[in-house]
Amino acid sequence: MELFNENSKLASVIHKDHSLLPVINRLGVKLGFGDKTIRNICEEREIDLNFFVEIINVFHYEAYFPEKRLLDFSVSMVIEYLVKTHRYYIDYLIPENDRLIELFLSANPEQSTENDLVRKFYTKFKEEFVIHIDFEESVMFPYVLELNQVIENPLSRPNFRQKYPDFSISGFEKEHSAMDDKMDDLKNIIIKYLPPNYDQNRGNAFLSNLFMFEKDLKNHSRIEDHILLPKVKQLEMILQSHE
Amino acid sequence: MNSNLNKSIVLISPLDVVLTGLFEILKGSVAGEIIQLRRGDEIIDYPELTGNFLVIAVPEELEKSTTLIRHILPVTGSVQFMALNLDLNSALSTPSISINDSAALICYKVNEILNSFSTNPGKETDTELTRREIEVLQLLTKGYSNKEIADQLFVSTHTVISHRKNISEKTGIKSASGLTMYAILKNIIDVTDINPDELI
Ligand SMILES: [Fe+2]
Ligand SMILES: [Fe+2]
Repeated sequence: MELFNENSKLASVIHKDHSLLPVINRLGVKLGFGDKTIRNICEEREIDLNFFVEIINVFHYEAYFPEKRLLDFSVSMVIEYLVKTHRYYIDYLIPENDRLIELFLSANPEQSTENDLVRKFYTKFKEEFVIHIDFEESVMFPYVLELNQVIENPLSRPNFRQKYPDFSISGFEKEHSAMDDKMDDLKNIIIKYLPPNYDQNRGNAFLSNLFMFEKDLKNHSRIEDHILLPKVKQLEMILQSHE
Repeated sequence: MNSNLNKSIVLISPLDVVLTGLFEILKGSVAGEIIQLRRGDEIIDYPELTGNFLVIAVPEELEKSTTLIRHILPVTGSVQFMALNLDLNSALSTPSISINDSAALICYKVNEILNSFSTNPGKETDTELTRREIEVLQLLTKGYSNKEIADQLFVSTHTVISHRKNISEKTGIKSASGLTMYAILKNIIDVTDINPDELI
């Protein structure tokens, strides 16, 4: 198992693990980077080098999760990354999933009971997913950013206390496991329990996209649960000690 | 193996020698479970009896068990009845086996009925779940809570939770709505029995 570092050529990183492509995109890097190293690219685009390296390694290697180091990154940087990830889901992965599942199901109209069930399940999953993301962006992230500011600027404390009387992230924490389970279930239904007369290539295309989505989402949730939340709890403790 | 699991036989006779004899004759040639009862109403002690099964009983007990099965057991598959004729001088009109039939003939008659279960189109359940797990799954898909399922099956909530865990492990499906979809695809429940808009 190999970890990438600042001197790795980004092109060879991608050759080794192409699932990193959307990750480098949301970190601010577009294709066409020639033979530049990660350091060159980050300097050129004013991307935080350490953050870039840690994020691609965490994504590339599931067992790698240097919590201590990850906790050093600023809350706003982490949230910016998380929001960009949300955009990637909403603007690309979900519509792509919609398209692929419809291609898959509509090719087999005689299986209407099965198709209806899968469509219903998928729609519910999607609704829950969008609600989750909306909640994070409209309630949880703003709270975290304001909390972060109030620590840097004690003058704004009364305002903050008024807005969030019992300032605690625990009220905002939302489970990720239910969403992960549903995604897993959808995969298993298609892999194990649909009749075999579906178009296999279309099924594979949908599943590949879903596997990619799953991997990305697991990583995303991991950063929220194990980086963002502990950081917020830290900030809350600091604020509490100032009271 | 899976579909046979759901085809069991219930033998009912007050006579041990009849029960044992039939059990010995049938055990080698049927794949499902064979339950032996002395009285028809003892069937109430087998709430886990779901899926397809065949009841073979002496006429008096056949009547008792029929009423019970029709009204009490949460039967999901189909049930067939076969009379067991111990009286050499009378002939029964329903599907029956007689005490003087040869072992081969008894096996033949019984298997003929068992096989008819699977020709029932679309109704065959094909699942790796045990009968009890199927029952839990059925209640689950009707929207019952763990506690309610426990009460209905006369077991502890803890037992229900462990059944649910096993169901998820075997099927690879964890969410309640995913399990509902599984149950429909596997003919464990009928899509018309539930409200898919609510439960999926
Ligand atoms: Fe998120
Ligand atoms: Fe989240």
